[in-house]
Amino acid sequence: MVNNLISTYLIYLLGKALVLTALAPLVAGIIKKVKAFLQNRRGPGLFQLYFDIGKLLAKDSIISPTTSWIFTVTPFIYFAAAFGAAALAPVVAEVFFGTTGWQPDLFMLLYLFVLSRFFLVLAGLDAGSSFGGMGGAREMFVAVMVEPALLLASLTVALRAHSTNLTAMTLSAQTGFGGLSAIFAATAFFVVLIAETGRIPVDNPDTHLELTMIHEGMVLEYSGRRLGLIVWAVATKQLVLLVLFAALFWPFPLIIDSVAGQIVWLIVKVVLTAIALALTEMLANKMRLFKVPGFLAVASLLALLAIVAQ
Amino acid sequence: MIKNFTVSVENLRAAANVCYSKSKHGLLAMFANDERQLNGKFAIYCLFDGRNPKKMLMIKATIDQKSAMEYPSLTPIIPAAAWFEREIHDLFGLTAVDNADLRPLLLHENWPADVYPLRKDFDVSTIVPEAINKKIPMAHAHGEGLFEVPVGPIHAGIIEPGHFRFTQAGEATLLLDAKLGFTHRGIEKTVEGLSLNKAFFQVERICGGCTVSHALAFCQAIETMAGVDISERAKAIRIVIAELERLYNHVGDAGNLCAGLGFAVGTSNGARLKEYLMRLNDAVAGNRFLRGMVIPGGVHYDLTPELIAEIKATLDKVVVDFEQMTGLLDENDQFLDRVNTTGLLPYQAAKELGVVGVAARASGVDYDLRRDKPYSGYDRVKFKVPVQRTGDVAARLLVRLEETFESISIIRQVLENIPTTEPKLAVPIPLIKPYMTGVGWSESARGGNIHWLMVGENNTIYRYFVRSASYANWPALPIAVPGNIIPDFPLINKSFELCYACLDR
Repeated sequence: MVNNLISTYLIYLLGKALVLTALAPLVAGIIKKVKAFLQNRRGPGLFQLYFDIGKLLAKDSIISPTTSWIFTVTPFIYFAAAFGAAALAPVVAEVFFGTTGWQPDLFMLLYLFVLSRFFLVLAGLDAGSSFGGMGGAREMFVAVMVEPALLLASLTVALRAHSTNLTAMTLSAQTGFGGLSAIFAATAFFVVLIAETGRIPVDNPDTHLELTMIHEGMVLEYSGRRLGLIVWAVATKQLVLLVLFAALFWPFPLIIDSVAGQIVWLIVKVVLTAIALALTEMLANKMRLFKVPGFLAVASLLALLAIVAQ
Repeated sequence: MIKNFTVSVENLRAAANVCYSKSKHGLLAMFANDERQLNGKFAIYCLFDGRNPKKMLMIKATIDQKSAMEYPSLTPIIPAAAWFEREIHDLFGLTAVDNADLRPLLLHENWPADVYPLRKDFDVSTIVPEAINKKIPMAHAHGEGLFEVPVGPIHAGIIEPGHFRFTQAGEATLLLDAKLGFTHRGIEKTVEGLSLNKAFFQVERICGGCTVSHALAFCQAIETMAGVDISERAKAIRIVIAELERLYNHVGDAGNLCAGLGFAVGTSNGARLKEYLMRLNDAVAGNRFLRGMVIPGGVHYDLTPELIAEIKATLDKVVVDFEQMTGLLDENDQFLDRVNTTGLLPYQAAKELGVVGVAARASGVDYDLRRDKPYSGYDRVKFKVPVQRTGDVAARLLVRLEETFESISIIRQVLENIPTTEPKLAVPIPLIKPYMTGVGWSESARGGNIHWLMVGENNTIYRYFVRSASYANWPALPIAVPGNIIPDFPLINKSFELCYACLDR
């Protein structure tokens, strides 16, 4: 019986990861479409990223002879980490399995992000091109400020749930409203969302200017199917973060009782958050690189306040 | 009015020093000419701006072909001469003594060392062998923790080729050197021997964005030499066309600047307004770059009343939208934070390097050829020349924004009082006395363009020289960039709006 439950749970996690990975390019497409709309453009179709990834996956990779094994394996590690994070992302349906026994843990999810970042930075440095090096250096420089904010904001929810178990945290966040502390934490996490998805004002996902790049700079040396994997993983990671935001920081508890209703509500929240991201990007311009830490420090401080206000 | 002086080569520097101290804007152009077929000598010409309006000073120094092929460098007293002397060295093999930097400017590693393409004995159809083991060093610095970032010549955007070499201490740029001229077309050489009318087509196509101003400068040089007076209506149409060109350039450049800092709303607004203006160009000239409007002797097409109405209507629409767009920029703290104090070009540097146009006016150099050396009836139009003192990206943007409104006002003024239709919009160019020389100039969206030409037999071109605005402004970039961080480079570069085609003429 217990074994049965565990295997059903594993199948559930796998299925969840597959669904999220499959939907991730669509969410990226929605953000692109909203941005285009706000710029008076028609923009690419909602499914364009699927075609892009499909095209890239069908192509050969060119690998610079100066690279080591790190460059070759990083896309796979990066994708695997994103896939794993998707499996752990709280989409509310976990409640069905209860909150006891083995549960996806917050720290596990965060460390998967850290793992993928670590390898991508190394790969950026590996090819020895100056753009990769600059991108990697800037990524770490930004990460130093993003990670505390991410951790502190998540801990606000964990403290209230008395657990770092993601299911328990979701339940707690969705059944009660944490007041001021929750608002601070949500704001902090939204800033993290901007930084982690490489968006304006921290990074610019649409730029062709190599000298200004952060994320794009690191992956500049990649091509073909390896690039395809990275692009797909980036979209997946973005969706996981949006789901995290919707599940842990959206302060409106649920009225609907069915799990299906909960999931629909979650989807609505994810799409609204994605639109909010697009809006932020259109309202802002990229800030000076050396002002980014200040901006992120505000997020960290807000998260710290959130914990204090708890 | 050009006042000509002829000096011996030994006295070139002394003469230049006198003219330099007497000029308002310093050295405008410096070039060589192979006059061995005429008098057995090479000549160095230096064109200085005069202090009085309408006055320029031209020094000619001759170098005997049997003497050592050298002349005293002007760079130690006039920094603006640096690039001209490098170019003369490239193309004529005349050495500027005391110029410490005579690295090839336009001819790259593949060009053999002792072939000088602008000498008369070099035939334009010659197939030049590929040079081997020719190295051109880039400026660099050594020190612990310093590293170099090479960028280009192929860039990620659809722009022309240029190689930039940054010496970095982390994100901070210590030194920038640029290698340009990858698409140098040798237009100055290929037009030699062509009739003036045929050469015109090549001149007009030096650059897409400066089509009208190049055509205008070239035509005015010819018209001055031929002594023809063009009709008043043609002059008025020329002003309208020239300002339409400035308009679409400035509007587009303001939008492009936003792309340098990821402000997508500004970028797409700029693109949208530029498109309105380019469609207007299409209606006026039959093409989006206003080609074929200005021709030697006048203009090719008339502005019909319907066209005038269309221009006025488009301007009324654009001015409203552009005011909104300016509001998005100059009342936007986030945006201002990026552009204020970024990419400083100090007044002193702008002055000494002979920087022109928007870049100069943003650094406090109050100079505009339309006002200071009026041509084509600009002296009868009322307009303000916007000047800023700070010399940063914001100043260059502000000058551009203000000039856009001035341009709209100029077009409106001219269209209000446009002289009535005359039967002939273009007068034929009579035979010009062989070996006569003439200078023509115009203020493009990027700054002054100066064209010099010497006519041969039967109205052909004997020697032609172009100093484009971008040619004068490129050397300012390595001054403005160091001290900033490398991710700000694209923004600084866009604020100067330097043109590769104008340099690679």
